[in-house]
Order: sequence, then structure tokens, then C-alpha cells
Amino acid sequence: MIERRATVPGDAAQLSALTEFLRDFWSSADLAPAQFTSFELALEEVFTNIVMHGSQPGRVPQVEVSLVLAGDGLTMTVEDDGPQFDPLSLPPPDITAGLEDRPVGGLGVFLIRQIMDAVSYQRIGTRNQLRITKHVTR
Amino acid sequence: MNVRLETVGQTTLVIPEGRLDFGSAALFEKQLEQAFVRKPTGPAAVIIDCAGLEYVSSAGLRAFLLAARTAQRAGCQFALCGLQPSVRDVFELSGFSRIITIYADRAAALAHAPTAQP
Repeated sequence: MIERRATVPGDAAQLSALTEFLRDFWSSADLAPAQFTSFELALEEVFTNIVMHGSQPGRVPQVEVSLVLAGDGLTMTVEDDGPQFDPLSLPPPDITAGLEDRPVGGLGVFLIRQIMDAVSYQRIGTRNQLRITKHVTR
Repeated sequence: MNVRLETVGQTTLVIPEGRLDFGSAALFEKQLEQAFVRKPTGPAAVIIDCAGLEYVSSAGLRAFLLAARTAQRAGCQFALCGLQPSVRDVFELSGFSRIITIYADRAAALAHAPTAQP
């Protein structure tokens, strides 16, 4: 089992640091490059949701990302101490709508559900926890 | 991310390179707006050559959607071309490949662009 953890403030400028953290994990776990983009995308979508929904006046949430590779399952857990927010409760966007009616938001969570094997949300005490799992190959 | 604009006849070519994520999407949206500015009338077509685009998230998709709407309102053709496989996946999963025309490469996209002089 390989496990890594990173904590950053929920500020959009931290996205590149988190992507680097994921990239480092990928090479140390010797995972196939083809699946990197799925996790890169999921991490960005989850993190930017927290940046947009998790800040309160004068307070930026702390965001903790952990990656655990056990067997051939990779679990990415993202926790923040912002206000309660379950991104999975958002209604899915209508992806058959025409150009003018297509909603501009809500796509991030939809994409995560499409590319990952399992996604779950839990409110634990004062923290939001989103857990994402996917089968990976080495 | 870098973005270059080129003019080919009545067509404006937009050539982004690098990553289109939450951090770069706002800048890309601004540069796409510039692609529709052309005197005395707007371009007949705007083509985005995505061959150099390595990554797109939902923030990037939003920029493409807004540009496609701008084009439709302006009566301007709008298409993408040269999508790398991982970028193409995001367009297909999101259903965007059904509302935005996508060509295999720049030559195919230009071949479909209007060439008639006013």
C-alpha cells in the first residue's frame, strides 16, 4: 500500500501544487500514464468546487488530499473544513440540451461520475469528505 | 497556456497551447472574444486548432460553450479541430461533441470554412 497526503489552503492558486503532488504520486507508484488525466481532472473539479463554495468572509478552508493505492484500486479522498456542501446532491446537467440551453455549470461533478468507478460524500463533524475510487493499472 | 490568433482568408484561427484549466480559462475566454473582432464585419468562421491543447477541465469547456454561442448569435461558423485523445474524451463525456463541430485536423476544418469573398 502506498499512501500520500497533502494539505493546502482552498485558494485557486494552489491547484498547480496539488497537480504536482498527484504527478509525484503517480511516478512513485509507477502507475500507467494513461489514467493520470482522469485523476488530474477529478482533483481539479473537486478542488475548484471547494474554492467556489467553501470560502466564507475572512476564512479560506483548509483542503487535505490523500491518495491511497491498495492493490489495483486508487482512492483519492478530499476533505475540507468549509461549510457543509455535498457536490453529489447537485442535479446532473442536461447533456442533450442544445447550444443555447446548455447549462454552463454542473459539468465538473458529472465528469467525475463518468470517469471514476465510485464517488461518495460524507459530512464528518465539521469536515466535508469526498472519496473517489478507480481501478488503475501499473 | 499560450494562445495565438491567425487569419486565413475570412477565417480566424485560434491556436491554444498547454493546459486549459480553472487557472487559465478566464484568460482564454478573453482571447476567444478577440477572435470574433474583425473589421469591417466579423470573421466568417472561427476555428480553434486544439492540437497543442494537453488538458481541458469543465472550466475550459465553459469557455468553448460561450464562444460557440457568440458565434451562433453572430452568424459565424464555429468549429474545433485536432483534439488530442484525452481532450476528445472530455468533449464526448460532456456531450459537447454533439453541439460543437469537431474536425480531425486543421486542413479538414479549413476545407469546410466559407471562402466566398463579400
